[in-house]
Amino acid sequence: MGLLDSEAGRRRLLTVEIPVIERYNEGRDPEFRIRVTRVGGGLLLRYALKPGHNVYQLETRLVSSYPTLPPETRVITPLKHCPHLLEGQTMCLWRQGSMRTNSRWDPARFTCVFAIQAAWRWLACYEIWHETGEWPLPEAK
Amino acid sequence: MAHLIQVGAGSGGMPVLDMVCRDARITRVTLIEPDVYKPHNVERHLFPPSAVGELKAVLAEDWLKERRPELAVHTLVCDLLAPEQQAAIEQAAAEADLGVCAADNEPAKYHWDALMRRHGKPWTLGEVLSGGIGGFVHWFAPGGPCYGCVASYLQRSIEVERPKAPDYSQPGGAVAEITIPASKAAIETIASLHSLITLQMEDCRLQMVRNDPSQICDLQSSISNRLGFTSLLLTLQRAANVFDEAFRPYRFRIPRAADCLICRPGPTPSSSEELDVALDQALARLGDA
Repeated sequence: MGLLDSEAGRRRLLTVEIPVIERYNEGRDPEFRIRVTRVGGGLLLRYALKPGHNVYQLETRLVSSYPTLPPETRVITPLKHCPHLLEGQTMCLWRQGSMRTNSRWDPARFTCVFAIQAAWRWLACYEIWHETGEWPLPEAK
Repeated sequence: MAHLIQVGAGSGGMPVLDMVCRDARITRVTLIEPDVYKPHNVERHLFPPSAVGELKAVLAEDWLKERRPELAVHTLVCDLLAPEQQAAIEQAAAEADLGVCAADNEPAKYHWDALMRRHGKPWTLGEVLSGGIGGFVHWFAPGGPCYGCVASYLQRSIEVERPKAPDYSQPGGAVAEITIPASKAAIETIASLHSLITLQMEDCRLQMVRNDPSQICDLQSSISNRLGFTSLLLTLQRAANVFDEAFRPYRFRIPRAADCLICRPGPTPSSSEELDVALDQALARLGDA
């Protein structure tokens, strides 16, 4: 049962996810807006983030079992290999069983825009790590 | 006279099914279970080693029929999320009076929760914690918190037991991470609590139906008053940094979260066709060709 082929999934998109994406895009420079395409039973969100000096292109996939399973975010812009980066430049963002409220995906409270904000924070950490060699969030280690 | 719909007849689900169906008020059962009984199931399951290779749903049906020949048992040998079986599952849920969830994965629990809420049915869920250090039993009724409200409130930092099957296809392959499985005793302790709470919920439902069938929506307050909790955690072992004491119950009265993204009411198109059109238009605005 995919996000797009179940009524519950389509209602979640229409009443929760799409309104927050539209609010995110409102007044934002077109280059940084979220663009959405259907992929299989889920959605692909393409967007750019500029946490500091650089602009990064990213993709966040709302998999068919979203929101039960967290979205998967990968950086399209080539990165230097670093901590918390998985295969295919996928960000390591959500940990099952984590004590930290922000690193445990909660489908009752989080939306895809929260995942994008988490990606922005991850990239900010990456830029600091790139300069200093230290990942600035000790709890992520 | 009650129709029980249950998903899962694994090591945790089968004892619940057995104990709940011993009650004469349960006259009909629909069981959703896709799995085959495997050698690694034998240690913690009710079925004998000679049954290895057979469908768990068939074994469960035989087990129930041996003890209650008059019980009407219908099995759906499919995954709860199988798209091609959704019509049959929806119909069974619509006809059922109460539900039991003994699924071992989060997508199935959320799917079950949505199914039960859509049809306004009360249901229970049992969860054994990894290593058998304790377990939760939750109950849900129309108008009360959804599974999302409960999971978000509890923010469980402990993993729920999910037995891993050995990789028979690669006997010489990589060795999986070692975890401590829950014992049969731990699983059956939580299953017994799960059964008791399910039967108490059924008491409340039947009492309400007898008094005034139109008041079924007040089931939430009726069960809440009777049990005094919505979720029960029983510790079974002392565990460093997790539980200070063994055999200690914790009762949680979890409210429905007004801002829960899973169950909060919202304006949505009334028909499926209107929903599709509205979604197509919304996605087109966001760039979907």
